[in-house]
Amino acid sequence: MTEFSRRNFLRLLAASLGSLGSFYLAGCLDQSKLLTKSIPANKITSTPFLANPTALEDPSNLTPDGSEVDLPTSTPSPTLSFPDLAVARGGEPEEMVRSAVRALGGMERFVKAGDVVVVKPNICVAYHSYEYAATTNPWVVGAVVRMALEAGAKKVKVLDYPFGGSAEQAYQISGIQEKVNQAGGKMVVMSGIKFIETSIPSGKNLKTARIYDDVLRADVLINVPIAKNHELARLTLAMKNLMGVIYNRPAMHASLGQRLADLSTRVRSHLVIVDAVRMLMANGPTGGNLSDVRKADTIIASPNIVAADSYAATLFGIEPEKLTYIKKGVEMGLGSGKISEMKIEEINLG
Amino acid sequence: MAESPSKSSGRLSPRARLRLRKLSQFFFLGVFLALFLWSRREFYLNPAAGSEFKGKLVNLPLQLDPLVMTAQILASRTLLSAAALALITIGITLILGRVWCGWFCPIGTVLDWVPVRSWKKSRPMIPEGFRSIKYILLLVILIAAALTNLSLLIFDPLTIGYRTLTASVWPALDKGITALELSLLKIPFLIPAVSAFDSLIRPAIFPPHPAVYRFGLLYFGFFAAVVGLNALAPRFWCRYLCPLGGFLGALGKFSLVHCEISESCTLCGNCLPSCPTGAIQKGERIFCDPGECTMCLTCAVDCPTGQVTFPARSTTFLHQPYDLDRRKALISLGTAAVGVGLLESGWLSSGHSSKLIRPPGAENEVLLSTCIRCGECSTVCPTNAIQMAVLEGGPGGFWTPVVVPRIGYCDYSCRACGQVCPVDALPTLTLEEKRKQVIGKAEIDRDRCLPWAENTECIVCEEMCPIPDKAIELEIADIQTATGEWKVIQRPKVIRELCIGCGICENKCPAVGEAAIQITAHKHKGQSGGRKQRGTGKS
Repeated sequence: MTEFSRRNFLRLLAASLGSLGSFYLAGCLDQSKLLTKSIPANKITSTPFLANPTALEDPSNLTPDGSEVDLPTSTPSPTLSFPDLAVARGGEPEEMVRSAVRALGGMERFVKAGDVVVVKPNICVAYHSYEYAATTNPWVVGAVVRMALEAGAKKVKVLDYPFGGSAEQAYQISGIQEKVNQAGGKMVVMSGIKFIETSIPSGKNLKTARIYDDVLRADVLINVPIAKNHELARLTLAMKNLMGVIYNRPAMHASLGQRLADLSTRVRSHLVIVDAVRMLMANGPTGGNLSDVRKADTIIASPNIVAADSYAATLFGIEPEKLTYIKKGVEMGLGSGKISEMKIEEINLG
Repeated sequence: MAESPSKSSGRLSPRARLRLRKLSQFFFLGVFLALFLWSRREFYLNPAAGSEFKGKLVNLPLQLDPLVMTAQILASRTLLSAAALALITIGITLILGRVWCGWFCPIGTVLDWVPVRSWKKSRPMIPEGFRSIKYILLLVILIAAALTNLSLLIFDPLTIGYRTLTASVWPALDKGITALELSLLKIPFLIPAVSAFDSLIRPAIFPPHPAVYRFGLLYFGFFAAVVGLNALAPRFWCRYLCPLGGFLGALGKFSLVHCEISESCTLCGNCLPSCPTGAIQKGERIFCDPGECTMCLTCAVDCPTGQVTFPARSTTFLHQPYDLDRRKALISLGTAAVGVGLLESGWLSSGHSSKLIRPPGAENEVLLSTCIRCGECSTVCPTNAIQMAVLEGGPGGFWTPVVVPRIGYCDYSCRACGQVCPVDALPTLTLEEKRKQVIGKAEIDRDRCLPWAENTECIVCEEMCPIPDKAIELEIADIQTATGEWKVIQRPKVIRELCIGCGICENKCPAVGEAAIQITAHKHKGQSGGRKQRGTGKS
């Protein structure tokens, strides 16, 4: 064995750094490819009422001659036997979530054995407990986590990126951490370095965004917003909830509606469960007054984000297409905003 | 704390005792770092009541620091119960000498570790008279404290330690590691490993988003100067400058246990260069000044004939030329009185800036005479809202806490600063109290605010406002743009009665550079107005 001198150490160091460096350079050269490769581009939930199905086509799914690649792992195409949207009313939160998802074909339709599932509740601030309806109901999140695990998920991560207070604090104060831990899920504190610059090929206004790595890599994303008031978007629902997975949020506020629709084309919610157990009617999104909270005991579930948001808007007495992001979403062919055209299953538990 | 290495066991060989000392230094530096790390997360994560004890635990090093505690009591004119802990240090010093410096002080430990390798063959001779600087500095600090000024506590070694760690070393480490991670993320097969490593260190050791401290170089430069002076003489800082060293040295003169060189010494002089503080001197015979000796025990190891012992025996107090005398005391008194006079009368500053926003519950005048400048509030502030004032507070408020909303907002659910403050300069508030503390008021600059100036939709400040009834309202306006088309736009307005000045609006404002909504200092209840508050306005 050679002597371990400074010279030898430096040689070893130079050799290892050199080899790592060449990979680094390779990574730099091939950045665009790397970015799109890190994203499961084949995870598209087809939607039953696409006005313009091509709008969803990801360039990476196309072969050079333009024909679509057969995706072996794509989620099962929804058959007409399932409703577009299910609404459960008047029960305990977990009961409502279970019956609404069962009406859509059960969690097994969305989560396959061995999947890594990301659940994205709205935990936007660390200020108040769940009663104030600024954050998603903890029992709803807990139920979603449990159901995903029952359906065979390998791992269920729950995350959000609060704008007021730290994530750890918000997870604790909202009560979501406790319920998620009980259900066997994992609360993930989002780290600033893991937002990956990602292109949004179908985006009209938002062409790239720094999106959280865990979300991009997840097999299934379950979007669990709470229905609440927001002065610019008017309501914050599922599409607005996706802002929590991107880095530069203040920049979204200019032409918010279009950018939210753009973001929804890249960050696909495979299942949307809108928590309207308690709705925040005013002073959102932060809340703090119990008088602004209305107990509605309603859960809306749908594989289509625009449909879910449209139905939720009607709970506030708002015409869905009056919300710019729903309007833009419909324009981009993400779904329909017309409640009358949807196949809805209503379940009354109360 | 420092008594744990028991020296009563006289059977230990000098070498074993030396190892014990190094172990103690290592251990206490570890404790210091561990408490620092723990405090960063403990307080904001547990905003509920009942963490007062944890505050005491985190601040143990500072509470044991007799210089900080004495000065604080003199200036604040209140006796803190926690200050009683400093009596332990005083007691230990009276028995064992300056063991604090040699066995415990984290700065001393770092100075011991920094290799003294002068670029010149011979080190410059430092006049022995320099040793009196630490005594003069000590007296100036204490006299100024009696005149309610604590500005010079920035020279206390523990406050240096906290500030350096908080505002330079930790953020720099964080930045370095983040840069490394980001580079490694470019290498595809390393992504899972980097990702796993990142979840290990964040948020446990580093914050999920890089910490921001202004003037990091200033804090590091201060510390680097303390360390760099080692090039002139080993433990230069401890020998000549450290006011806490002066405090303990003055007590150490009377210590029971001290270094003694027996009559049968061969005068070989081996011990002279081995003493890191140069406490051993050669006159007619070789002797050690207990006021300068840090009980490091190096000399006992280096003495070839075993003449150095540490008996517990009271001896006569030997006055050295560099020790305090009447002349130096008078110089200190004069310096302190003139200095405080200049600061207080405003000759050196033109009043406070409207950006002098103090953390919740603190009143400027009270803060100045109670804050020990340790920067612990800044350490624990989860959003980095609390920075150390450099210009905002004038020279008298140097390195006191100030809220800088553009860097961080005062989190509506956090009361960490009040819990951690070792001297109650920032009051411990309940969450309900904290949510009502007005630290400033928001003002909108309509020439820069997007909806006002450019007719662009933006409601970020309103959205962020944590006040349940929203201290920012949106006025709906029908406006005609330059191209002649009509547009309905929401424009923010501050409801000053509701605003508490938390600064989340300023922090999140999407305007480039300075925010279009800014917090200005606000007159607190019971705070005198007048000159110092000039320009801050009332509402």
